[in-house]
Amino acid sequence: MRARTDYIIFLFCGILCCASCIEEIEFENEIFESALVIDATITNEDKKQEIFLSRTYPFEDGGPNPESNATVNVIGNAKVYEFNEVDTGSYVSQIPFKAEPNVDYQLQINTSDGRTYISNAKQLTSITQINDLYAVRETNDDGANGMSIYIDTFDPTGNSKFYRYEYEETFRVEPPVFVSQDLVIDTAPGELADPCPDCQLKFEFRSQDKRICYRTETSKNINLINSADFTEDRVTRFLTRFVRSDDYRISHRYSILVKQFVHSSEAYNYLEAVSRFSGEGSLFSQVQPGFVTGNIVAQNNIGEKVLGYFDVTSVSTKRIFFNYEEFYPNQPLPPYINSCELKAPLRCVQENNTSFRCGGLVNGIRRNIIVYRGPNNGQIPLGGAHLMVDRECGDCTALGDPEPPDFWIE
Amino acid sequence: MKKFVLLLLLLFTSSITFAQENVPTLSLTIENAGMEEVLLIIEQKTSYKMYFVSQWLSNEKFSGSYENIRLDELLSILLKDSLLNYYISDDATVVLTQNSIIYESLPDGFFDAGNSNSTSISSQEEEEIAAPVFFNETTASEVKKIETIRIGREDRNAAKKRFTLTGKLTNATNGGPAPNIAITVKGKDIGAITAEDGSYTLELPAGINILETNSLEFEKIQKRVVIYNDGVLDFGLDEAYVGLREVLIQANVDRNVKDANIGATKIDVKEIKNIPLVLGERDIFKVAATLPGISTAGEGASGYNVRGGKTDQNLVLLDDGVIYNPAHFFGIFSAINPFTSNDVTIYKGNVPAKFGGRLSSVFDIKTKDANVEKFSGEASIGPVTSNLVLETPVVKDKAGVLVGARSTYSDWILRNLDEEELRKSSASFYDVVVKYNHELDGKNNIKATGYYSKDAFSITSDSLYSYSNRLVALQWNHTFNDKNTGSLILTNSQYKFDIDFDGQTNTNFELGYTITETEAKLDMNYAGSERHDFHYGFASKLYKVEPGSIGPKGSNSIITPLTLPEERALESAVYISDIFQLNDRLTLEAGLRFSFYAALGASEQNIYADGVPRSDGTLVEVREFGQNDVIETYSAPEVRVSGRYLLNPSLSVKGSFNTNYQYIHTLSSNTTVSPTDTWKLSDINIKPQSATQFSMGIFKNLKDNLYELSLEGYYKKVDDILDYKVGSQLLLNETLEQEVLQGEGKSYGAELLLRKSKGRWNGWVGYTYSRSFVKLDSNFAEERVNNGEFFPSNYDKPHDFSFVGNFKLTKRYSFSANFVYQTGRPVTVPVGNFILNDTELVLFSDRNEFRVPDYYRLDISFNIEGNHKTKKLAHSFWNISIYNVLGRNNPYSVFFVTEGGEVKAFQSSIFSIPIPTISYNLKF
Repeated sequence: MRARTDYIIFLFCGILCCASCIEEIEFENEIFESALVIDATITNEDKKQEIFLSRTYPFEDGGPNPESNATVNVIGNAKVYEFNEVDTGSYVSQIPFKAEPNVDYQLQINTSDGRTYISNAKQLTSITQINDLYAVRETNDDGANGMSIYIDTFDPTGNSKFYRYEYEETFRVEPPVFVSQDLVIDTAPGELADPCPDCQLKFEFRSQDKRICYRTETSKNINLINSADFTEDRVTRFLTRFVRSDDYRISHRYSILVKQFVHSSEAYNYLEAVSRFSGEGSLFSQVQPGFVTGNIVAQNNIGEKVLGYFDVTSVSTKRIFFNYEEFYPNQPLPPYINSCELKAPLRCVQENNTSFRCGGLVNGIRRNIIVYRGPNNGQIPLGGAHLMVDRECGDCTALGDPEPPDFWIE
Repeated sequence: MKKFVLLLLLLFTSSITFAQENVPTLSLTIENAGMEEVLLIIEQKTSYKMYFVSQWLSNEKFSGSYENIRLDELLSILLKDSLLNYYISDDATVVLTQNSIIYESLPDGFFDAGNSNSTSISSQEEEEIAAPVFFNETTASEVKKIETIRIGREDRNAAKKRFTLTGKLTNATNGGPAPNIAITVKGKDIGAITAEDGSYTLELPAGINILETNSLEFEKIQKRVVIYNDGVLDFGLDEAYVGLREVLIQANVDRNVKDANIGATKIDVKEIKNIPLVLGERDIFKVAATLPGISTAGEGASGYNVRGGKTDQNLVLLDDGVIYNPAHFFGIFSAINPFTSNDVTIYKGNVPAKFGGRLSSVFDIKTKDANVEKFSGEASIGPVTSNLVLETPVVKDKAGVLVGARSTYSDWILRNLDEEELRKSSASFYDVVVKYNHELDGKNNIKATGYYSKDAFSITSDSLYSYSNRLVALQWNHTFNDKNTGSLILTNSQYKFDIDFDGQTNTNFELGYTITETEAKLDMNYAGSERHDFHYGFASKLYKVEPGSIGPKGSNSIITPLTLPEERALESAVYISDIFQLNDRLTLEAGLRFSFYAALGASEQNIYADGVPRSDGTLVEVREFGQNDVIETYSAPEVRVSGRYLLNPSLSVKGSFNTNYQYIHTLSSNTTVSPTDTWKLSDINIKPQSATQFSMGIFKNLKDNLYELSLEGYYKKVDDILDYKVGSQLLLNETLEQEVLQGEGKSYGAELLLRKSKGRWNGWVGYTYSRSFVKLDSNFAEERVNNGEFFPSNYDKPHDFSFVGNFKLTKRYSFSANFVYQTGRPVTVPVGNFILNDTELVLFSDRNEFRVPDYYRLDISFNIEGNHKTKKLAHSFWNISIYNVLGRNNPYSVFFVTEGGEVKAFQSSIFSIPIPTISYNLKF
């Protein structure tokens, strides 16, 4: 009694002849439509639940417009859970709570412009634990070698079926050209003979905290699988993440936390449709896109487009760690995220006959984008006295946090 | 005497060559040249081809100098002492004949010779003058040597000035009587016509009389009768073989104006060979799409939209059998072999009552009959495909078989490409046609056609898609009597597709879909009188659909086998139509078709609560139906009326009113046709779609039917057109009715066409202004698209201009071009981005709110025919085409892909650069 997954995915079929082409184009929204986006998933984790409100933004803009000053409530179990805005557009429940089975939950939002949005009532989906999470080094279907992170899950009751996965990867970053000295701005005035007296630098010891850091990144795609076509409610060897062998993320120690959400079939279909419309295209046949109706409506205006789907899901998580040597014994490290080219910018530059100003060296240090590497002993002719590299090459805090996260196990 | 010969010849020649008004003039100097040499010089100096037999030419040498002499004068001089006549035809050829003359037209008043009104000639001298030529045996003459016969014994005392000659004419070949032969006496007002038994009686003046017989059947005979007394003369006549110039029977030249049917177009496949080709393939459908009212969503979009109709509303018939997907390779090639096709008639306005089951059009394609006289064939080699057709008689002059096969080597091309992505993909297709035709006797003939086409392609290394069409058609035509004929037709066709997924995980599967239909049709014709032409009959077809099945592939696959239950239905119709000529000006084609549809069990049908969207929550009951139980019936009368009123012989107005019902629908969630679209039968929840079309037109032929001009307008309204909730998954959906929306459609347009089908320049120019809209309204947001307002359909292209032109440089070389301009098709594009679950996604505009840029394209081709020698093994034909000469990067679609959490916009185009192609065709 539900739609089976359509396996027909025509991804970039640039078939037949080189004459056919798919090219990336500059696209600007000719007409921009503003609509409320409600990212609301209540889970069975006992925590302060989070709901994000934003508005659509034009294609050429970088990010969303958070929707502030709304009243957000989740009604369920004869209680009203009130949410406070802790960050613009980010609303957190005043008290921690977890979704209970067989209870109707409903989302109610009043925005600052006086509109009311109400969702359908939803109940918690069945709870299924992740069976296994494991890393395999392999060459994938696209011919790329790397680490595949697979998941196995199984619901013997057969009620889960609609899964979505998110991941949170954390890895150790070790800058390749760490030196023990840093060049910093010296506020003390320089010698009188110095044409740039305000551009003074001095050496300091570099903190060992900049040597090893931990960086965390989260998934940025909607990864769905349903087991409805399978003989049992079992997902085996489902790919949650693929990291290429030449990715600096796996250089030292890598950890991934995979979150499994069990969705209702309606929410699953909603997410599947919206991601399908933004996720693929084909040379020959194009899926008819359009506005997908969710389960949240604007009370005063039935025709208003509201984006997002309110769902109450069960969550299960699992984390694994691995070191580079385990899978790449005696192999060189993948290239660092930055090629760490040496540069020797000038400290002081002459603008005209009489005036001087600070050069790239001082400006780069001020802006905290370059760090000291060593003296310029002619490696870069006509350069300044010091060899510099981009900050992340010598200072890991450019990328992460020096403190290992609580879960970190060496 | 010679003077007379010349005089006569000139008389003849001048009357003949006047057929050619603009004979060329030329200047030349001949010195002691043989006749053949001179003829070849003439051929060189003019573009005229000379046809003659060398043995006929005399050894005489010619000398002379001519300045701007007309070709006919020169030929007259050249041939004056020979037995040869010449004929200059309109198409720049000169034919030399020995003795006989090529007539421009059939002689008039041949049999009236005996009643000639000329009265003045009676003297002996004039008689001598009139016929001197016949005394000289060496002169060029159309008659045999004259025999002299003396009749009766001369009686000097006889007072009679006239004597009676009686006799009998017989057919010298078989000895039978030769009736209705005119016998005239040269130069005298005397004549007779032979009776049924060949007998005749003539009153002749005493002395010499030249008797001449005139008949189309027999050779002309002259007898010199020297009559002295009453007597008898019997003689035999040889059957005549008169060399006539080809008689062009131009049926339908004024069809444009005179036909009562409006909106019908016929494409003769032979005539499209010069049109520029894409990748060397001659394509009936592509040519059809250059005509007003027929369009495609874009290059590489399979399916045709006729007058704003959906692609599933066209009935494509090959020898009366339905072809569900007549496209190869996403529509870049058509699946109809041009070499085996005779012609295609496309009905886009008034659909004759004998056709039914689709709303927008009928493409009635006929396979050509196999050659029953001799073995023949045709072959072509192009850059992507090869095609071979062979025909051979089975029973001489009665039965023959034709086999045509076409295949691609695109797989080989793909494997040799540099680009990694393309090398992994594969694509192949082929199609085969077999036809057998047998003329049993004068009253019965049978025809059988078999057809199979198959496509297979893979875009990623782990999946293989394939689809095939299969068709068998049997036809028995019987003539009952002069007025009654009938055809019994049995067809069976099938369309299926399969997807094989073979990846690295344990979810490998095989998925399949099949639709089969079997039809029996009896089509009768009663040509009641000159004013009536009745067609009537009935047809019944059984559909069997296997809507989808999926099964695991390989032993470790965890896919559960699932087969959606088979759907069956019976669609029947009775029809009658009459082409009724009310008077000389008004003709009506009135038809009525009554169609009846029954969805049959076994089946489980979901019944939903009324007035709310269908969903699992509103499911009321599941109704069970046993095998062959009638689940639901639909029936409707379909009116097909068309009329023509002739304002004058070259100008007419026509109008039509048509209603159509369609009981079968395609399910497609794509903006254009995809090979994995499936067909769904109407059932309890899905109603048949229906259409009503009004059309009017004015038709004018100009310059003796050389130019055809037409302007047609139409308005069409469609009900219960099928569409889907946004984001629906249609394949293998067990509750499809929950996803289906049924809405309204409307389209209207004006089509202008100017066509010149003959002459060195030929081709057509068409312009269409048309609109096509869809409306999907409901009380519930999820069932509404664009707020329930009318929105442009995916194929709404208001302006559509096309030009197709051929220019014959010489008999062997010709040049063709075609140009197309169309408004860009509507697309749905993002109007904003949003973030959900940390993923950047796009919000789309109302459906089809924007358009891709306008489409235009110019193609050219150059055709070289092989030489025209009579003795050669085969006739060859080269075609060199350049598709999209202007290199216009016509966008086909715009789409958006989320990559690394970021949305990127892409534009795709199919042929963005000029595509040169060369193909070689051979006919033997």
